Amino acid sequence: MHGTELKGWGFLSPTLVVLGFVGIFPFVYVLYLSLFYYNIFSLRGIVYVGINNFRKLMNDPKFMSALSKGLLFVVVTCGVEITLGLAIALLLSKKFVGRGVLRTIMTLPLAMAPVAIGSMWIVITRPAVGPVSYWLGKLGISYDISESALQAFFTTVIMDVWHWTPFVILAFLAGLTSLPREPMEAARVDGAGPWQTFRHVIFPLMRPILVTIVFIRIMDTFRIYDEVWALTSGGPGTATKYVSIHLVRLVLARQEYGYGASMSVFLLYLTIVMCWVLMNLITRVKKEVYAE
Amino acid sequence: MGRKIVVLFVAVAVLCMAIPAYATTDEWWKKAGAPYKGITLKGIGQSTPPSEVVRDVIAPEFEKLTGIKIDFEVQPWGVQYEKVIRDMDTGAGIYDFAYIEQDAIYAFLQKDWLVDMTKIWQEHPELTDPDLDLADFTKFIEYYKDPATGHIYGLPFEAFLKMYVYRTDLFEDPEIMRAFKSEYGWDLRPAIDWEEYEQIAKFFTEWGKKKGIELYGHTAQAKTGYQALPYEMVESIWPPWGIYNWGINLNNWRTSVKNGGNLNGDLAKEAFRWYIDMLQYAPPGVKTYTWDEEAASLAAGIVAQGFTYCEFLGGLLANPEKSKIAGKFAVTMPPSSPQSMNEAVRGLGYLGYYDGASYSILHAAKNPLPAALFIQFIVRKDFAVEYARRASRVVRKSTFASPMLKELDQQQGGYFTAFQKYEFLFAGAAPLPMHLVIIDIYMDWISKAVAGEVSPDDALDSLAEEIDSTMIEMGY
Repeated sequence: MHGTELKGWGFLSPTLVVLGFVGIFPFVYVLYLSLFYYNIFSLRGIVYVGINNFRKLMNDPKFMSALSKGLLFVVVTCGVEITLGLAIALLLSKKFVGRGVLRTIMTLPLAMAPVAIGSMWIVITRPAVGPVSYWLGKLGISYDISESALQAFFTTVIMDVWHWTPFVILAFLAGLTSLPREPMEAARVDGAGPWQTFRHVIFPLMRPILVTIVFIRIMDTFRIYDEVWALTSGGPGTATKYVSIHLVRLVLARQEYGYGASMSVFLLYLTIVMCWVLMNLITRVKKEVYAE
Repeated sequence: MGRKIVVLFVAVAVLCMAIPAYATTDEWWKKAGAPYKGITLKGIGQSTPPSEVVRDVIAPEFEKLTGIKIDFEVQPWGVQYEKVIRDMDTGAGIYDFAYIEQDAIYAFLQKDWLVDMTKIWQEHPELTDPDLDLADFTKFIEYYKDPATGHIYGLPFEAFLKMYVYRTDLFEDPEIMRAFKSEYGWDLRPAIDWEEYEQIAKFFTEWGKKKGIELYGHTAQAKTGYQALPYEMVESIWPPWGIYNWGINLNNWRTSVKNGGNLNGDLAKEAFRWYIDMLQYAPPGVKTYTWDEEAASLAAGIVAQGFTYCEFLGGLLANPEKSKIAGKFAVTMPPSSPQSMNEAVRGLGYLGYYDGASYSILHAAKNPLPAALFIQFIVRKDFAVEYARRASRVVRKSTFASPMLKELDQQQGGYFTAFQKYEFLFAGAAPLPMHLVIIDIYMDWISKAVAGEVSPDDALDSLAEEIDSTMIEMGY
């Protein structure tokens, strides 16, 4: 090995050591745990069960229900956040009075801790006394997230949209700012209107950025816990018990370390598959854009 | 004049006797704590009124006396257990002492996570409060003894009953009494069975509507997805219906009827259906109520009757600054069936929950000896009455004899009299070492039924099946 290579590895080694401790070792340990029955209050101790935890997972109706609820939450939330985020970013990319102030105000929810957001929404939505339920009640609309599963689901969606749309806006704004000016000016010279410019010039150029933002938001919403747990505790019943909440309760409340580990591994696998699909999409989009 | 001199003499004599006694006690704590001066004890409690007294009053006083610093955190139910279990499982030794609720003691003893306090007292007489007087503790201390050795693994610092609280101003209102009698044909008084309770609940809810006031006939800790809900069922609803020990057959650890349990038996299902049906008479939002909000709804004056943990009486319900019903409520036995009453009197069952907790020393504690000293300071005799005033908890028999307690008894709706009279009809949780695991399963199915996702009968059938399979999986 050349001296320069050694020097390079030397510079890399602290990062590799940290990565090994915080990334690789926990992953290997979780993978190892997933092969055992391990509940700290069990009389059986730690028992090797091979892939039985994964077999159990595939036949676990509670897990499947939580997974489907989690995926539905991801689809609805990401759909709203991306659409709204792009629209507001386009609006904020124009020059108008008060744009700076509006941008600052819109980013404020991002600075708040998720559990604080959940607690705040408890106050807002408290049946009969919270401002939302009170004013909707005045309009003759019954709103009670402790009774209605649908209202509870959409309230968690709105809460997440309120919290994270500013991030999407900022990311789109950064993308819009970095777009080359020439294609847009060429389109204007050719007589294209605002919608045509957006549809045929801006949107294709923004697609790689769009896919990246979608990717980040899918990962985030898939593992949501704090806000929803604080607001609904997964209720009413199990209406908002998304897969991340199901997993945390299984490990922290029931002390099911082995089964919980297998669930984590499966969710990681699912995430990797989604990443793979998205990465392929990004690559294809990039190729298309550069081909154009 | 002569009489005045005698009175003055007696007063001075009493004062002279009292001052040295108190001073000696203070001196003893100072001396016992001296070797540990400057160290920091780390402890964790649950967010209950008695634990808040430990944090706000007892710990600062102990620090001032001994110079031992107390770093004490108070956490909600689930968080507190998760932190302690993690500490014990990893052996990190973060906490020296922890709040151990009666229903969790069996899990901690099975895992050998607690320090034998009897052994500490035997080996370190210099750290044993001369006035500890174990015989003075109520029967609640028995839950903290190892049945095999009789050794103690925690000193109970809170113990209280979950009882039936009703509004005397409403129950004794002549207009209400007349209206009730004309509707139901019997004189309004606290219910003695479930049918009466339901009639009263219905009456007051309708009365509130009729009069245009916010008033309901019932309250509950019915937040779905939270442990307060299953605890209400297993502690307060099923026992007076005759379903004990969470419906578990303690001989074979099974719950389903087919396996010898009674969790999905007719009686358990009937009680569960009744519980869900009664929520219609509770305030809107009752399905967001935990134990705290249930007590708060009573204090807010919007509920005519309900069941509450009586630790909330002193600091909340009887406190005029926080409660609209201070001086307007009374405490009595929850309703029951003749059969369950008969079984409870004969010691074959129980009618309600005798709740409480100890502070215990954790096995990985870095400072077990000063922790033992602090725990004794929490339950010391000379603070017991004041503690009862602040948090309605009694763990010492001698506390009942105090004249101040009689005064408190009036303020707290006759609770202490009821406590002494009915204590024998109440019991702590069954010895279930796996209880922290299975309560979450109870919560799932009970929540589903309360939310209307499944019927109460189906929920209990599924619950019994899942508990049985979990017990088998855990080796029971």
